[in-house]
Amino acid sequence: MDAVRIESVTKLYAGAGRPALDGLDLAVQRGEVFGFLGPNGAGKTTTIKMILGFFAPTSGSVRVLDGDPQDPATRRRIGYMPEVANYYGYLSACELLAFYGRLCGMAPEAIRRRSGELLELVGLQDAGKKPLRLFSKGMMQRAGIAQALLHDPELLILDEPLTGLDPLARIQLRDIIVMLRKQGRTVFFSSHELSEAELICDRIGILKDGRLCCCGGIAEVAGDGAGNLERIFLRHIQEAKG
Amino acid sequence: MNGMRGSLQRIMALARLAVVDLFRRRDVSVALLLAAVALLPLLAFNFFGVSGVWRYVGEVTLLLVWIFSIAIGLGVAARQFPAEFDSRTIYPLLSKPVRRTEILLGKFLGAFLATASALCLFYVCFLLLLLLKGGGVDPVVVAQAFLFHLLFVMLLTAMAVTGSLILTPSANLTVCALAAAGMLLFGERLAGLAAGLPLASAIPAWAVHALAPHMEFFDLRLRVVHGWPPVEWPASLAVAAYALCYTAALLLLADRLFKRKKL
Repeated sequence: MDAVRIESVTKLYAGAGRPALDGLDLAVQRGEVFGFLGPNGAGKTTTIKMILGFFAPTSGSVRVLDGDPQDPATRRRIGYMPEVANYYGYLSACELLAFYGRLCGMAPEAIRRRSGELLELVGLQDAGKKPLRLFSKGMMQRAGIAQALLHDPELLILDEPLTGLDPLARIQLRDIIVMLRKQGRTVFFSSHELSEAELICDRIGILKDGRLCCCGGIAEVAGDGAGNLERIFLRHIQEAKG
Repeated sequence: MNGMRGSLQRIMALARLAVVDLFRRRDVSVALLLAAVALLPLLAFNFFGVSGVWRYVGEVTLLLVWIFSIAIGLGVAARQFPAEFDSRTIYPLLSKPVRRTEILLGKFLGAFLATASALCLFYVCFLLLLLLKGGGVDPVVVAQAFLFHLLFVMLLTAMAVTGSLILTPSANLTVCALAAAGMLLFGERLAGLAAGLPLASAIPAWAVHALAPHMEFFDLRLRVVHGWPPVEWPASLAVAAYALCYTAALLLLADRLFKRKKL
């Protein structure tokens, strides 16, 4: 059973000349780390928003963890970290996690225990009581990772998770993703950071103009051509253009 | 039953956020400070030795309570959704197992409870001031004025939350403030105005009279200050039903708008 199954999905925004997604087919297997790559405007964020059930596709179907993503019961099993979010500045990191924990229906004791664990995991254990408005961009990203992991999701969706993170935090996030893979969780992340994707992904998919150019393990995607992921990425994008 | 309880817990978690926001921004403290600055001179002196000067103090205080409740209610309610969209926290929020209707109800309830808690503080201050000036008011009328004021706040916050899903924040604040002030000042004259107009002009006037929220129904300041009797209970119930129906209609509209909102 796939963690995410997208079949013949087209998404046309009102007033847009061309579809944001054009007959997209994609399957993400359970327990894998999947890198979703593509240039700006390729349709990565639209795909993520549909996986999260923010809106329905114009045609085609999206199934997540064998359920409908618009059903709250399915979303209870998904964790999501957006690319940018200025979390409520008047709350502390602990209060932010308590708020999201209540929305997920967690018991107060479970929220306290899990918040402590996660703040330590993302390196915010000393900033738990500090108002979020005093957080740097990197600290805000770490708080975002903590809220995404709070309810112990089966599927973690990260939208450009490395944006704004310093090298140490990048290593920490990479370690977290590796740890989640070991626990059998599925991680789906979009990124422009090809070198990071190369390090942690089991498989990648490259999206261009709403279509998937290629999908598979890095060796598989590389085909006969040698080189790092950046070269593979460029080659596929150029082929898609041609 | 569990589903209902879970839904209520999520709505209350969202509502709590608005209350925490209001009190941590110190909006209420600023309003109380401004009121104190405006009222202290009135409290300290009785320039002309007029007897019953407490009525004057009471009237000014209640006017300030109304102005601040409108400012706080609109400020809190109108920023609920725009703040979520601007800071992009709407996305992690929607990714949680929460329905859009629950988010809307949580935001509305939060704005209402935050303003209502500020209103409680204002009424306590009003009563303390009257005690200091030796004034006597009918507790039933004050309680009724407070309850009617709460109904007003409920309607106002529902209007601002709904407006925030259609209009820009500044346009929403302007429209809601004008509607509230306009109806408080001229609402009761609308029917008379419409009756005196020729048919072609009377139709829009009657339409406004029928559709606009009659905020003036909730204003009992004169009854409190001048010691008039309380509003009869059947009339009170009719006013409460009017506020509830109007609020429900606005929230239904807001629910449709939020569900169709492009994200």
